[in-house]
Amino acid sequence: MSDPVAQEQPPLPTATASEFVLTLTLTVAAILLLIIGDTALAKIDRDATRSTAAEEYRVGVNLIAHNRLPDAIEHLRTATTLDRERPVYTVALAQAVVAQGRVLDAEQMLIPLLERDATDGGANLAMARVLTKEGRTDEAKSYYHRAIYGIWPGDAARSRAIARFELIDVLASTGARQELLAELLPIQDESPEDTVLRKRIADYFVLAGSPAKASDIYRDLLRKNPRDANAYVGLGRAALGMGNYPVARSDFLAAQRIAPEDSSIARTIKLADSVIALDPTQRGLGLDEQVRRSRQLVQMTIRSAHRCLDIEAPSVGAALDSVARSLVAPAGVVSRSQAIDENISLAGALWRMREGRCTSRPDDEALALVQDRIAQ
Amino acid sequence: MRRPRLPRLPKRIVGLVEDLRRKEDRLSLALSLFIGALVGLVVVAFILLTGRLAAHMYPAGGLGWRRILVPTLGSLLTGYLLYRYFPLARGSGIPQTRAAVFIHDGRISLRSVIGKFICCSTSLASGIALGREGPSVYIGSGLASVIARRLGLSKTQVKWLVPVGGAAALSAAFNTPIAAVLFTLEEIMGDLHAPVLGSVVLASATAWIVLHLVLGDSPLFHVAGYNLVSPGELLIYALLGVIGGLASVAFVKLLLKLRERFLRFPNSTLWLQPVAGGLTVGIFGFFVPQVLGVGYDQVERVLNGDVILQTVLVLAVLKIIATAVAYASGNAGGIFGPSLFIGAMVGASVGGVAHLIFPASTAGPGAYALVGMGAAFAGIVRTPLTSVIMIFELTRDYTIIVPLMISNLIAFFISHKLQREPIYEALAHQDGLHLPSGPFRTDTALWVTSAIRTPPEPFTLEMKVDEARKLAKGSDLESWPVVDDDGLLGMVRVSDVIDATTGSQRPVTIATILKRARPATHNSTIIPHLHSDQPLGLALARMGDTGHNVLPVVSRANARTIIGVVTLADVLHAYGVDPRRVTPPHGTGVIKL
Repeated sequence: MSDPVAQEQPPLPTATASEFVLTLTLTVAAILLLIIGDTALAKIDRDATRSTAAEEYRVGVNLIAHNRLPDAIEHLRTATTLDRERPVYTVALAQAVVAQGRVLDAEQMLIPLLERDATDGGANLAMARVLTKEGRTDEAKSYYHRAIYGIWPGDAARSRAIARFELIDVLASTGARQELLAELLPIQDESPEDTVLRKRIADYFVLAGSPAKASDIYRDLLRKNPRDANAYVGLGRAALGMGNYPVARSDFLAAQRIAPEDSSIARTIKLADSVIALDPTQRGLGLDEQVRRSRQLVQMTIRSAHRCLDIEAPSVGAALDSVARSLVAPAGVVSRSQAIDENISLAGALWRMREGRCTSRPDDEALALVQDRIAQ
Repeated sequence: MRRPRLPRLPKRIVGLVEDLRRKEDRLSLALSLFIGALVGLVVVAFILLTGRLAAHMYPAGGLGWRRILVPTLGSLLTGYLLYRYFPLARGSGIPQTRAAVFIHDGRISLRSVIGKFICCSTSLASGIALGREGPSVYIGSGLASVIARRLGLSKTQVKWLVPVGGAAALSAAFNTPIAAVLFTLEEIMGDLHAPVLGSVVLASATAWIVLHLVLGDSPLFHVAGYNLVSPGELLIYALLGVIGGLASVAFVKLLLKLRERFLRFPNSTLWLQPVAGGLTVGIFGFFVPQVLGVGYDQVERVLNGDVILQTVLVLAVLKIIATAVAYASGNAGGIFGPSLFIGAMVGASVGGVAHLIFPASTAGPGAYALVGMGAAFAGIVRTPLTSVIMIFELTRDYTIIVPLMISNLIAFFISHKLQREPIYEALAHQDGLHLPSGPFRTDTALWVTSAIRTPPEPFTLEMKVDEARKLAKGSDLESWPVVDDDGLLGMVRVSDVIDATTGSQRPVTIATILKRARPATHNSTIIPHLHSDQPLGLALARMGDTGHNVLPVVSRANARTIIGVVTLADVLHAYGVDPRRVTPPHGTGVIKL
């Protein structure tokens, strides 16, 4: 190897005043030139890096569409590393990672993004999805709200609507009726020409316990298109929600006349018949019939509760059986009226106890509608 | 070389220039700003050029043969350039910078700077697994040296401006202004209290500002915020310190061993040697592309938790070998970047295993990768303080600082125990250069305490000279302490006491001799003395200053309390010199009592 000691021996030069001034001038000139050069280089570098990142992102998104998640994640990660200025890359990566089931990793990716910009609509929506997956619904709701009121690039209205409907889905699935209604009210008059969207909003109004609003939307839709069988079905469901069972039945029948081949309409008619046959509070029923129906209501509620409570608490199941056995037929008018009230109230109490523990089942639909009607 | 004839300047300007040059301290501070800006811009250009070239030379997803061919050809080209034109541009640049400071009076030639720029750009752009920070330090130091010499500054000023340029370069290369200052003082100067501190800070800050103006405000690595999940994790971080320390030692030993081998080859093969490094990197890169280049993209991925255990383990091993071979074979490039890479991979491996075993009570592997970077840096470069601050600045993540400190210190300790000589010092030794080092000086220094002896019964002010002579009889001490009621007052030569007893005008007391012994100009409140925790070399200096061969050692709590004395003979003995064999200087004889 070379010997640095030997090579670095020349004596130090002594500069004249002119050389001093010249050196300083050259240094300043070099600084100015380098500022220009570096700025140009930095721009070239930035543009090239951004373009590579955009390409990686495009490939990643394409791969997600083809369900090739590991490859997609690889490309999206490269895009994220190359260009940190575009949160959309990190959001896409986080969503791909969530799709792979790595929710905690996705959360870790989104935290710095939200720390940097808490108003980023995309990042908030992604975080809300992650938290929903983790079962942290309450926290997810606040991120959904931030996404709805956050900043979105491009078509912000559409992105906000997507976020709101996702929140509505979450609220509907958790049975949070009041919050669901609060989210539906601001959008009830949105997109009057979008029939699918209007029907979706109307359906959610039924779920939110506001069938009258749903009914208004369906009537409006039927004014525009009287041959819309689905609108009749929706109208019928809204009527069921309002406890107006005969009207519901006639709406379902109207739907069947328009679309006789649709088997789902026949099922809704059957449902309306079941409800009409079960509700003990309908007008025009004799006392005996009311007693019978109220007893049937209790027994059906007990059966429904059995199905899910037996497994987790067999002793509860046994207690329910003893309740069913203790139901006796009362004799006098006063005692029959009292029995109706007691049965209805017992059925209601059992139904509330069942709620939150049992998932809803299709064969409980008529029972649920009657219970809802009585609870109103 | 003939200097170009320059136009004469008006006398007033010449006067101003001369005036400015006379005030060198102020001029250096002002120059620090210029040097900081210039070096910052040059380093930014260096980083951008190497990055862009690398992206073209071996693009991600490119063909496998390209990953073998490009590093091999790149190393062949740089090998020739280094052999033929720029022999000083080989390696990292840190030992060369230190050599410039401590051996060459701050001289680094413009040719070496240009050579370093060209060779390192070629080398790094072709994927050689070396870093860009060490070369940046050399380029920055070289520019500072060139400017200072062209301005006609004194040798001392040129020497002081070299680390100033180095600090500016590191600040811009790593985006770490504080760590750059610390590294310059800790590693290049070997003294945290070096007088260049002000200039170094100014230059580092200026370079950082320039970097931000051109490239924007962005840390080198973006890291998700990590926290200590449970106190028990500290044990795992300590284990990481151990493993990081061992990995550092393995890397340093391998690199030094290989370099020793390469140095044995004939000089005529110098141009070909770097190809060994290029080919090794190329073959590794064919199978594992992440080995190529500086690898900061991969480090960032790992820091953000993108860890596949087998991959990071393989990468740690391959990078150790690739960097060691590339450096040892004489390619141009540094070991800062590879140290961080190796540390991140080792950390991610340890973190990956820990998270697999204790998923609930440990952070993700990314946190360990972060701490591992610091541990490896502390173990390899041996600057523990710099490494803590550097990791903090690189990631701007403060939450992990305690584990980082623990891990760093353990790695540093292990590395110090198993590989006594720090890497830059060892590299300089291999080149035949013996540069000073802080730890080396500390290890071998002798202290006053190693030569201290029990103090004699002191003279008092009122003591008659006959009485004093009797007291000193039989002692080999040539000077004797004098005390009053409050303690030590000074030292008198025994020869003066003897003279006083035999002279015509016989002074009555020791007080008179002590008064005569102190020159009129001498501040009588300053008594020549030593403290037991001072270096023994200082004793020699003080003896020279005062003319006393015996000095009192006094308490730090009360400088008038004598706790012992130190004699010249004892000092020489402590240094291993037999005082009897030392030829006495002029006129020093044996005192006859």
